[in-house]
Amino acid sequence: MTLTVPTRKPPTSAEGSDAPVFAVDGLWKVFGPKPGRVPADPALAALSPAELRAETGCTAAVRDVSFEVRKGEVFVVMGLSGSGKSTLVRCLTRLIEPTAGTIAIDGEDVRAMDRGRLRELRRHRAAMVFQHFGLLPHRTVLDNVAYGLEIQGMGRAERREKAAEVVAKVGLAGMEKRRPGQLSGGQRQRVGLARALAVDPEVLLFDEPFSALDPLIRRDMQDEVARLHSEEGRTMVFITHDLTEALKLGDRIALMRDGRVVQLGTPEEIVNSPADDYVREFVRDVPREQVVTCRTAMRPASLEEAGSGPAVRPEAPVAEAIEAVARAGEPARVMDHGTCMGVVDSDALLNVVAGTGTAAPAEREAEPTLVSAAPRPKAV
Amino acid sequence: MATITAPAARRALPGLLKSRPAAKLLTLAVAAVILVPLLDSRWGSGHWPHALTVSLTGPLGDASDWVMNNRDSHPLFLYFFGHISNAVVLCVRGVYLALLAMGWVGVTALGALVAWRVAGVRLAAGTAVAFLACGALGMWLPTMQTLALMVAAVLASVAVGVLLGLAAGLSDRLDRALRPVLDTMQVLPAFAYLLPVVLVFGIGVPAAVLATVVYAAPPMARLTALGLRGADPEVLEAVRSLGATPRQRLLTARIPLARKELLLGLNQTIMMALSMAVIASVIGAGGLGDRVYQALASVDVGAALAAGIPIVLLAIVLDRVTGAAGRAADNTGESRRTVWLLALAGTAVAAVAARLLGRAEWPAGATLNIAEPVNHAVNWMTAHLYSGVPVIGGTADWAAHFTTWMLDPLRDGLRALPWWSVLLIVAALAWLIGTWRTALTATLAMAAIGVLGVWDSSLDTLSQVLAAVAVTLVLGIATGIAAARSDRVDRMLRPVLDVFQTMPQFVYLIPVVALFGVGRAPAVVAAVVYALPAVVRITAQGLRQVDPAALESARSLGATGRQQLWQVQLPLARRSLLLAVNQGVVLVLAVVIIGGLVGAGALGYDVAFGLAQGDLATGLVAGAAIVCLGLMLDRVTQPTGRAKKGA
Repeated sequence: MTLTVPTRKPPTSAEGSDAPVFAVDGLWKVFGPKPGRVPADPALAALSPAELRAETGCTAAVRDVSFEVRKGEVFVVMGLSGSGKSTLVRCLTRLIEPTAGTIAIDGEDVRAMDRGRLRELRRHRAAMVFQHFGLLPHRTVLDNVAYGLEIQGMGRAERREKAAEVVAKVGLAGMEKRRPGQLSGGQRQRVGLARALAVDPEVLLFDEPFSALDPLIRRDMQDEVARLHSEEGRTMVFITHDLTEALKLGDRIALMRDGRVVQLGTPEEIVNSPADDYVREFVRDVPREQVVTCRTAMRPASLEEAGSGPAVRPEAPVAEAIEAVARAGEPARVMDHGTCMGVVDSDALLNVVAGTGTAAPAEREAEPTLVSAAPRPKAV
Repeated sequence: MATITAPAARRALPGLLKSRPAAKLLTLAVAAVILVPLLDSRWGSGHWPHALTVSLTGPLGDASDWVMNNRDSHPLFLYFFGHISNAVVLCVRGVYLALLAMGWVGVTALGALVAWRVAGVRLAAGTAVAFLACGALGMWLPTMQTLALMVAAVLASVAVGVLLGLAAGLSDRLDRALRPVLDTMQVLPAFAYLLPVVLVFGIGVPAAVLATVVYAAPPMARLTALGLRGADPEVLEAVRSLGATPRQRLLTARIPLARKELLLGLNQTIMMALSMAVIASVIGAGGLGDRVYQALASVDVGAALAAGIPIVLLAIVLDRVTGAAGRAADNTGESRRTVWLLALAGTAVAAVAARLLGRAEWPAGATLNIAEPVNHAVNWMTAHLYSGVPVIGGTADWAAHFTTWMLDPLRDGLRALPWWSVLLIVAALAWLIGTWRTALTATLAMAAIGVLGVWDSSLDTLSQVLAAVAVTLVLGIATGIAAARSDRVDRMLRPVLDVFQTMPQFVYLIPVVALFGVGRAPAVVAAVVYALPAVVRITAQGLRQVDPAALESARSLGATGRQQLWQVQLPLARRSLLLAVNQGVVLVLAVVIIGGLVGAGALGYDVAFGLAQGDLATGLVAGAAIVCLGLMLDRVTQPTGRAKKGA
């Protein structure tokens, strides 16, 4: 199976200067009796999950997690089952009440919101897509999509008109009158997606949306999300247990284990310089040439090299350069807006594929890959 | 994962069971060794000791006298029960008059059109035929009376049931409080509900309607709560994530998602209401049940049958139509509203046309008198089949033999047992099958029967129940196995079971009296016939649901059909079999009690006697004993963590 990395979406001009959409700091969610004492007590907070359960009967699903989601990016939270990722995304709109920490949406404290304000947040600012779709079986596709608008109190004709637009946008035109029971899994999830899109939210939250689908449909849906994102540039928080999916969709990925974020960075950073053995084990089988970019693989060009050879973009995956180099038989130039930034030759490319010799460039990039409160501007 | 661990758990289970019953029995034996000599020396053995009874007849008689004397003066009656009573009478009367105003043409048209909209042409034709048959049998007015009572009772039951169900579905605390009450109400025989209602409201339509409501509301409440609780949590979360208020969540998600259960609840409520509306004829319900009751009292089988057939037809039509409504729960749309309006308009036109033609009442000439021919047939049967048929004997002979060889020894045996040993047996059985809680409830219920001073008649009832249950289980489980193993048998049985399961208990007495006369044996036979379908159903279902992989592996090892049955299917269907026993016991008790009306004596007779003679105290004590007996029998046969009911 090939891993196609779609071209990263063009950056919005004002990026970096904007406040983050979501700012999460020191977030905890503990299940069990008297959960509040766990984050409050450093001794308890330091325990391993098994010790914590033995000691207090509590389970910490989310442990001291901090990150920011920037406007317009696809922020992927990835981890195996039980790593706390689904709990984390539910904490963002307080579908699950966090135990400690702060969450801010556009600078507004989510945990301080009263019921009405929180409802406002859920109605207009953040909409969620669920793993098992969460559709209402007794309503037609159109009424399911219009449901969020109905909840907001929009009139029947208006909401149906709006819903019909969104239904067409996700490729379900002509199926408005069907019921969820008559649709395939992929179509149902399109309905779920349409329902979330219909309320025109600032952020889309995806909770393992494609895990229940079979592989081919899953790829279709991933492409659909990538397309929607490139068209609309909507901020997305995407939960998944599938590394391929994370690498394909994510602008940045937070890798979770046992409730903690063990690494946060771009797909390339995660693949190229795993923060620990767990992450390394995780990314071992990733086709690196699909993830690592030419910018990382290149070396400075000598004068003659800078003058000739095929050109590749710095953000192009190495796989693209391999093709170019193989065709031309000489190193490829990495060109950014007409200037040559360096070259990639077959040795460098082979090193990338083999996972050797990337230490030097990775070291250069490694510093911001650790969990950091201050995200750096996206590499383009 | 699950498939790997499941067999391991199953393998561990028999070992666990082997040791735990032994421990339970040992504990009981130790308790018995200490307690029995004590009890024996203090109160002696044999019958329940007189010193341990509390006579409630006096206080209950006083209470009933007080109610009688104050019914017209005390504010409690004037301002509370009086209003309820009046409202019920008004409501029933209103519905009855409306039905009469529609005339037979209108009612038949309405029934058929509703059936057509909900369930299609075939059921519509069936409904029309059923209504016409009611008229043709000369039972139009009683049918309308029963229908009016049912409409009022079902409306009230649904209102009460939905409210309770909403409460239990939305609040965990109320659910915990309500569930055992509703569970218990569902296992009690209908007869037990009659007397308390009569005590307050006196004999008449209000008492009948309220008894029906009390009897029919629990399934609605249970299923409403079940539906609300069973909603897909992810759907509810999705609704929450879109910012729905709790009210919006309830109205747009939880209730629509529970639609199937709500309609099933409606179906069950209607069926139970019909069953009770017929039985409530003994407290003045009037209508079809009353005709059957009067006819049975004078052993006029023909007249009983003429009233019984409309009951059966009504039951089948109501069950099929509401059942179809539940299955078709998915179709909603704007187009339906107009069709409904058309159907209503059609009814109105039919009713008005009939009225203009002067045909509002059922034409007097168009009735079919089946009572006389039936009675002729019964007389012929009495003359030729009751006894003296060569070799096989006669039905009356069979009944007599059954009584002498089975019921009498059983009853005398039970009565000869020392009272404490009965308690001990109850405790041991209940504990072996269930938990110490069920054992305790069962034992206390049995002891309460003794304390109430109706030990003897209760043991009489118990002996009938045990005999009937034994027969039911042998026949039912054998038939169930046959139905599970052969698709052909299953297909043949299904329509029969469907019909039998929808008929009200009361109706079963009619053919039985025709065949066997009156007495204890006919009551037992009626009970067997009534309980059999449920036992067959549950057994067959349980056997069919056995994990096909386990069965396949047994087959692959070369197990014979017999080995498969004994070593795989029956052990794995243990839960279903226990449930079948439980249901069998509960259903049998209900009919054995009603059998008091056809000479079965015992507790049922006490209740009927109390009602007939206005001796409410006797009746109430017997009613309480029925409750205790029902509780005891249910708990004794209640498997741990019982599965939810439904057949």
